[in-house]
Order: sequence, then C-alpha cells, then structure tokens
Amino acid sequence: MATTKRKKKRSASEPAVGKKTKKKKRPAPRSKPSASDATPVKRRSTAQAMAASQRDISVSEFFAKNRHLLGFDNPRKALLTTVKEAVDNSLDACEEAGILPEIWVHIEPTTGDRFKVGIQDNGPGILKKQIPLIFGKLLYGSKFHRLRQSRGQQGIGISAAGMYGVQTTGKPVKIISKISSRKPAHYYEIQIDTKKNQPKILNGRGDGVDIPPGDKGAAYIEKHGIEWVEQPHGTRVTIELQAKFIRGRGSVGEYLEQTAIANPHVSLHYIDPDDYEYAYDRSAKSLPAEPKEIKPHPYGIELGRLAQMLEESEAMSASEFFRTKFSRVTSTMAKRICDGAKVSTRSNVRKLDRTHADRLYQTIQQTKISPPATDCICPIGEDLVLKGLHQVVPGEFYAAATRPPSVYRGNPFQIEVGLAYGGSAPTQNVTEDLLLELLEETDTRTVRQFLIHTFNGLGGEAADKLVKEAALKTRQTPGKLQPKERHRLYEAMKKVNVAEGQQMEVLRYANRVPLQFQQSACAVTQTVLGTNWRGYGLSQSRGAMPKGPVSLMVHIASVWVPFTSESKEAIANYPEIQKEIRLGLQAVGRKLGMYLRRRLKVRQQSDRREIFLRYLKEVSSAVSEINGAKQKELYEQLVKVAKRQTTEADMKLDDRGRPIEDKGEELNLGDNVLIVDPSTHKAAINRVALEPEELEDDQ
Amino acid sequence: MAKKRPVATARKPKVKLSPRDKKTMARLTDVADRVVRAAKARRDPHVDIPSRTLSNVHYSARKKIIEMGNNKNRRKLFDLSQAKAYMRTVLVSSGCKRLLDQGKTTSLRGMYYMLKHTIEGSRENTFDTQNESDTIIEDVEVMLGSLREELHLYAQKKGDLVGNITINDSGFDIDCSRMGSGGYGIPSIVEPEVIKLDRKKCHAKFVLHVEKDTVWQRFNEDRFWEKHNCILTHGGGQPTRGIRRLLHRLHNELKLPIYCVLDNDPWGYYIYSVIKQGSINLAFESQRMAVPEAKFLGLRSIDYDRCELSDDVILAMNDNDRKRAKQIANYPWFAKKRPWQSEIQRMLKNDFKLEVESLISKDISYVTEVYVPERLSARDWLD
Repeated sequence: MATTKRKKKRSASEPAVGKKTKKKKRPAPRSKPSASDATPVKRRSTAQAMAASQRDISVSEFFAKNRHLLGFDNPRKALLTTVKEAVDNSLDACEEAGILPEIWVHIEPTTGDRFKVGIQDNGPGILKKQIPLIFGKLLYGSKFHRLRQSRGQQGIGISAAGMYGVQTTGKPVKIISKISSRKPAHYYEIQIDTKKNQPKILNGRGDGVDIPPGDKGAAYIEKHGIEWVEQPHGTRVTIELQAKFIRGRGSVGEYLEQTAIANPHVSLHYIDPDDYEYAYDRSAKSLPAEPKEIKPHPYGIELGRLAQMLEESEAMSASEFFRTKFSRVTSTMAKRICDGAKVSTRSNVRKLDRTHADRLYQTIQQTKISPPATDCICPIGEDLVLKGLHQVVPGEFYAAATRPPSVYRGNPFQIEVGLAYGGSAPTQNVTEDLLLELLEETDTRTVRQFLIHTFNGLGGEAADKLVKEAALKTRQTPGKLQPKERHRLYEAMKKVNVAEGQQMEVLRYANRVPLQFQQSACAVTQTVLGTNWRGYGLSQSRGAMPKGPVSLMVHIASVWVPFTSESKEAIANYPEIQKEIRLGLQAVGRKLGMYLRRRLKVRQQSDRREIFLRYLKEVSSAVSEINGAKQKELYEQLVKVAKRQTTEADMKLDDRGRPIEDKGEELNLGDNVLIVDPSTHKAAINRVALEPEELEDDQ
Repeated sequence: MAKKRPVATARKPKVKLSPRDKKTMARLTDVADRVVRAAKARRDPHVDIPSRTLSNVHYSARKKIIEMGNNKNRRKLFDLSQAKAYMRTVLVSSGCKRLLDQGKTTSLRGMYYMLKHTIEGSRENTFDTQNESDTIIEDVEVMLGSLREELHLYAQKKGDLVGNITINDSGFDIDCSRMGSGGYGIPSIVEPEVIKLDRKKCHAKFVLHVEKDTVWQRFNEDRFWEKHNCILTHGGGQPTRGIRRLLHRLHNELKLPIYCVLDNDPWGYYIYSVIKQGSINLAFESQRMAVPEAKFLGLRSIDYDRCELSDDVILAMNDNDRKRAKQIANYPWFAKKRPWQSEIQRMLKNDFKLEVESLISKDISYVTEVYVPERLSARDWLD
C-alpha cells in the first residue's frame, strides 16, 4: 500500500505549490503603500505610469502561466493530462454521434525528455473551419453552455495540452480529421497565439491542407509522414511535448485501464514508449443511453446568472421566460414566482432590472419547486460496474450499487459504487511453473520491479518483504536468477502475507473519467474515510482507510460535476453528494459484511469440527484401554456429540432463548453481487504479451 | 476392575495388584466410565480438576501447612481451548493404567515417550515437550487424588544423604555413614514400600539440610555429620518431592529436628517455605511432605555484618529479586512472623544477596567449623 501513500503525499504537496506562487505575488503591491508611508519624499510611480502597464490578460496567457491549474504541473502529469483530455474529447464526440468508440493512443519518445503523443478516434470528425478553433483556442467548445452529462466541461483541456506542447518543444499541434470516406481529410499544423488566444495555422499558407480521399490521399499521408490509422471518419491529434513516462500509479496505462473499467463499450489500443502494445476490447456491444440535455433548474442558478439571462433574453413575458428557460417551471409555478417577487407575469423581461432580478432570486429560493428531472443522467449500471471491476481487479467478491439520482444545487447527479474484495493475494495463487514462465518473459530490471508490475495490487512494501524473505539481493535481475533462487522466491511468495497492512484502494470516476490525483481533497475519499467500515468486517483505525484487500470504485455522473479545480482531479464537498456516496458505500459495505461474516462462520465451524474430530480418536482409544469399552462404538457416539455440539454452538437463539432455524444455507446477497474463485482469476497477473515478430522468428 | 482389556491380559502375564494399586485402578476406571456414560447419553464429557494456583490454596494456621482449596476447573472435551488438554488427560490416565497393569514404574520422561505420538490424520503431536506431559500428570494426580507413586511414576533422582543412619531400601540395608564422598542418592519414591526406616538403626540427633551439592560436599568432606552426629542432606536447589517426603518421614517417624542452611536470597527463603509448609503447586501433598517444625539456620541478612564478610562476595539484587522478596513477605505464612518480616526487610535494605559459599572467604571450613556449630549452640534460628 505504499503506493497509495505516495499518492496522498503527492496530492497534498500540489496545492502547497499553488499557494506558494500566489503568495509570492501578493507582498509586492502591499509593500508599496507602506513604503510610501515611511518615506513621503518621492513616489516610485504615478497612477499614469501604472496605467500604462495595465492591460487585458488573455485566458491563454493566464493559463500558460498557471498551467498547474490545468494539470500540467510536472512533466509526468503533463503526459497523462494530454492523453486524458484527448481521450475524453474523443469519447464524448463518439458517444454524441452514436458511434461505438475505438481509440488509439500512441506515445513515442523523440529526443531527450520529449514525447510525441498521438490520439486518434473513429468519431464523426470535425468541420474544417472548426478545427483550428477547437485545438487552438482556450475556452472554445460546445459543452460549457449546456447542461448535459459529458466528460469534458469547459473547452480548455485539449487546447491547453497543445499550448503546453508548443511552449515546451516549439512543435506545432498536428490535427487530421475526416468526416467521411468520400470527402477530403483536413490536415492542420497549429500553434496557439497566447497573447490573443487565437490559433495560428502554420501549414498550407495559413489555411491548412486538404487531403483528397482515396489512394491519392493515402500517398500524400505516406509522403508527408502524417500519422493516421486508416478510418472512414475520425480525428487524430498529435502533440509533441516535454514529458516523463512512468508506469504504475498515476500513469497513462493506469488511466486507460481505469477508463476501460468504467467504459466497457470502448475499445482501446495503446502503444507505450517502449513499443508494448496493450489492447482493451469492448465487453459491451452497445452504447450507453444518450444523456439528455436539460435546462437549468431554478435552484441551481445564482443571482448574477439570473440577471444575465434576463438581460440576454429575447423579448418575452416573465412567465414565458421562466417556463422556457428553466426546467420544472410550469405556468402556475412561474406565476407564483412572479407574484412573490411583485413582478407582473406579463411584464417584458427586457425591462426588468437588477432589483427585480434580486427579488425574483429571493422568491425562487423560498418557493417549493419540484426537483429537476433525473433521466438526463446515464449511469454505468450495476451490471457493467461488476463486469468492469471483475475484468481488471483481482478478487473473490464483487458488489455494486447504483443509487437513485439526486440533486445538488439544482444539478441532478447519480452515484455508483462498486467494491471488489480479494481474498488471497495473487502472489499466493501462482504456481511454480507459472512463476518460472513469468520470470522468463519479464523485461523488468529488478526482482522488486518484476513483482510490482506482474502482480496487480502488490505494493513496493510487500515486494520488499518478499525479496527479503527470499534472501535475494535488491538489484538482482529476474531473468538471471539461479534455479535455487527462483525456488526461494516461490517459497517466499507462498509464505509472506502481503495483504498484511494493505489498505483499501479507491478508484474515483466522474462521468466515466478516472480521477487519479488529489485523492485526499476529494469528497469521495473523505466520505470513505468518514464511513465506519468496522461494521462490515474490515478493520479500520480512526480517521484512516480501512485495511484489507479491498478495491472500491465510486462513480459520480452528473450534468455538471463540481470539481475543485479546472484540472478536474477532485470532487467538491457538497453535503448532498457526500450523503449519496455514503449511502452507496453502505449498500456495498453491507453486502461485503454479510459475505465476510458468512465466510468467517463457515470457517470457524469447520475448524471447530476438525479439531474435535482430530482428538476424538485419541480419547476413545485411551478410554477403551482403561475400561475396555468398545473403541469404535465410543468413537462414533462421540462424533455424534461433536456434531451436535458444534451446530448447537452456532445456533442463534431468539429473544425467548429458543433456537432460530437458519433460513437457507445459501447466502442470498441479491443480484448485484459476483463471487468468483480467486485462484483462477486472470486479471491477477499481468503478462507481457509476446510481440508478433518474435513469434514469427520462432517459427 | 470388572472390565479389563482382554488383549492386554492375554499377552502380558497378569500382575497381582496391591490393595493400593486396586484403589488407584478403580479411580482410573471411573474416569473412563464417565466418558462412556456421557457419550451414550450424548452429553459433553468433562473432568473436574482441582486448580493448582495461589488463589486455590490457603494457609492453615492450625496445621501450619498450605492446603488446597475446593476450587475446581472443569475441563471439557467439546471446548476449543480445552479439547487438547482433555485428550491429554485421558491419554495420561491410560498410560498410568498400563503401568499398573504391568506392575512397573517409569520416569516422567518415560511416560512422555510412552504417550508421545502423532495424532492420526494430522501433523500434530500428542505432546511436544516433556513439560507438557509433566503438567498433565500433576493434573491427573490431583484429579484422582492419587500420588505420583501410586500412579507408578517417579521423577529424576535428585539430592543426597549421608549420616549416622541405616536405611532399608528395597530390601537392602544401607549404612549411610559409609557412603564415602558421593553419599546416598535419595530416590524419587521413598514410600514405606521402598524405604524402611528403623528408629533403632538411627543414631543421629538431627538433620541438616543444605541447599545444594557444593555446600553438602564441604560438610561431608569435613565429616560434619560425624562430629555433630547428624544426617546431612541436600536438594540440589528446590528439593524434589522425594527429598521432602524423606525429610517428613525422618522428622515424624524418627523424631529428628530439621535445620536448613540456605542462601540468603528470595529463592533460599522460598525453599525453606516449601520444606516447612508445602508448595503452592503441590498443595494437595503438603500433608505428607511439609515439616512445619523445620528451622532456618542461615544465611541471614545480618551475616554480612555479623561475620564481617567482605564486599567481594555479595551479589547485587535485580528487580526480579526485589519483586519476589516482596511477594514472599506477603505470603500469609510469613506475613504474621515479625522476625521473618524484619529478615526480609533487612535483605531489601542491604540490596544484595549472599550465598552459603560466600563464607569460604573467611576460611574454607568456616561454615562447618564455626558458622553452623555457633548457630546450633546458640539456638539462633528463624522459625
């Protein structure tokens, strides 16, 4: 579990960095007046002189300076954020168009610490004139002004990634998009002009290049070295940026894997910088239901926004305004609001001023309006949550719960919780032959690395323990182990209890997008910590994550997910959201508790019986030696007593002291639970797929 | 003895049981019969074993010995924590029965080997160490109310005797004044069936019991027993039951007073306490072992000053010693004795221990020629 700790540390240190930079700025203006107080001789500057340097700040300039707000604080995170923004956009586009998404992610090292990242989808493609704006202008997009469940929200992400790339490497963003197999594909090389927040097109004399369809186009693509996987339609963006490639926690691989859990309808192809190819095939053949766009709910609107809406609205009556611009407002409701605010229902909204807006706002808060429609949200569904978890997280027990939709600040949202409980660790289930095979095929440099990468959920601490137990040297290469050492490693894996001290792992999702950073700032983590897990059979010290081989997945789906920052790393703490998360956690917790208690009980019972039976033979033969009683007969009688004793001890008594019949031996946990045999779980071990060339060579 | 194992009788020659053995055998059979009865009635078989702890002993001020109380621990077969102990108890009982049947005696270790085997269908042993079987044997003793000798068991021989007495051991007359430097090894079983004492064959006037072999050697080499006409014994530390039983018999049957020369430390005090009023663990045997009239001759805490010993021979006390000393001071049989309280307090104040051997710093034979004769003639002892 050292890994989660590491994660926490990292996320804790991030905001601190942000604060520091802010603080540094502040003292400067403050010190000016105090300095002038002390020395009234001469002003350092005049209002006129200062006015000369006061000017507009473009969005792109702001974010170029404050890129940590968007998730570009370090090279490692920059790589992930770039992939993440592009994949999220692709998925949104495909789903909106009704296409089953297929995504290609290629990361290629270029020079030094630079990487070329290419992300392609099979989406509907982008119109020629929109391409530069979408990729070369911050805060340009379709998702900000509507209320609809989607991954992207602001229209910052991908253009910011491009901007980061340009800033760190000077290489333009390359986009190729095709809307039909018969129409030409558009190819652009773009740089963002940070001063103006405008795209600057570099190729085709500032106009981009059209690549004709068919063989001619294919030849052109070939000739100019444009990267493109042949598709009838789709978009590919290639960004070269300064980055650092890592594996494990907070990596691109982890992000894609978690994306696959929450999006079983997506096919993913991923080639990492070391040329390993990973494929996540879709397990669901149909798209999730299309989320509906909804109008804002009166409760979710702030005064400023209301005033702005009134101002921007076409001329219409107040009643009509409320009925058409908001959800859940009927004409009676509109009348009630207008009456309460002493505004005529017939008055023209263009003539309403700030005071009216204020009164209307106050009345809205006091009027009882039915909550917004919640059918606009598409949860993953308990079934697919179970499926996704089972495919990726090793374990023996899975449970899922989808809460009914709820509302915070007028925005509908829905919480889903999945839980995977893994009994014995994957290291203990492995056979010696399989271990030898794994050791053969691994490319890791040390045994420790081998253990961490091969066995899912094994932390650095546990790997260290294993290496120590096997009496291996820390820097030994797994491929070069002596047969004796291999055997020792195998023995150690059987012996060491790696689950000891293991903590619950929490996978967080917002609108099917995995959240990998800022764990401790997130409402999900805080609610998990605030829930008492001891009642569900897990041990937990005060204010800490529960212990045990448990993975938890929490998904919040909403038309507007309240993130704590633009980098979309943590969910804000709304009491309504926390309550729903808690209820979801309790739902899966109860099922886990039932399962664990039953398992414990069965084990205790069989243990007890076994111990008694073991001694009964000794007792009966000793007794028969003393008094000549028939040994066999006595033994059988004692066995009968033993059976009765053990069942009696396990029997529950009702409040009158009479035994309650145990209803049904089968454990009935409901539908949304999956129990598997952990020893045959294929997700427990990561195997390196042999590259096709190697196979050919063998033949 | 209505039921007897047919196989055993057929193979082994039948041994005639002494009346005492018959009594023991009846008790053993009773234990087994209870198991059978319980199993037939589908009940949980159990045995009740008097508890052998400080809480279940009391000091009888009248008899001046430690006696066992009536607290009993129930040991059940169908209780997870007791199942193994129950099995062992029955196993030891069957081992004793086998010994009785064949008219043989064996050592505690022999018993351990007789019963030690792997339980069928597991990797578990009935007993892993001798300590485990020894405690169960003590349990069986108290459970049956039979003595170890009656179960045909004996312990390792410990302790020697020399002096003006002739003992009949298993039909051999043994003149204990002619034992040379080795002495007569006191057997584990010293019951009248084995060792016969005759008042006419005893010329000694008292018994001097010393703590360990080395001191006893000194006394024997200096022929102390000859000069002072006494019997000289040692127990090699904490005296075993055989030694205590012999002291008891020498005292009660031959009317010899017992004097003890022990180290001046908590363990020495406790050895004296065990000789005098019995031990907590074997409180059920106090009656036939304790010698309430035994006297504590030395070493005393005042001896450092009285004998003008040098600082070189003192041993520092540790926390454990201090704790034990306070514990002993609180035992009811010491609590009301002023001289003993001041003795223990004095030792705690000294904050050091003295061994009998420390007197050698005065002179090699100081203890035999000066120290003990002086104490005896001055009748200077603790009671």
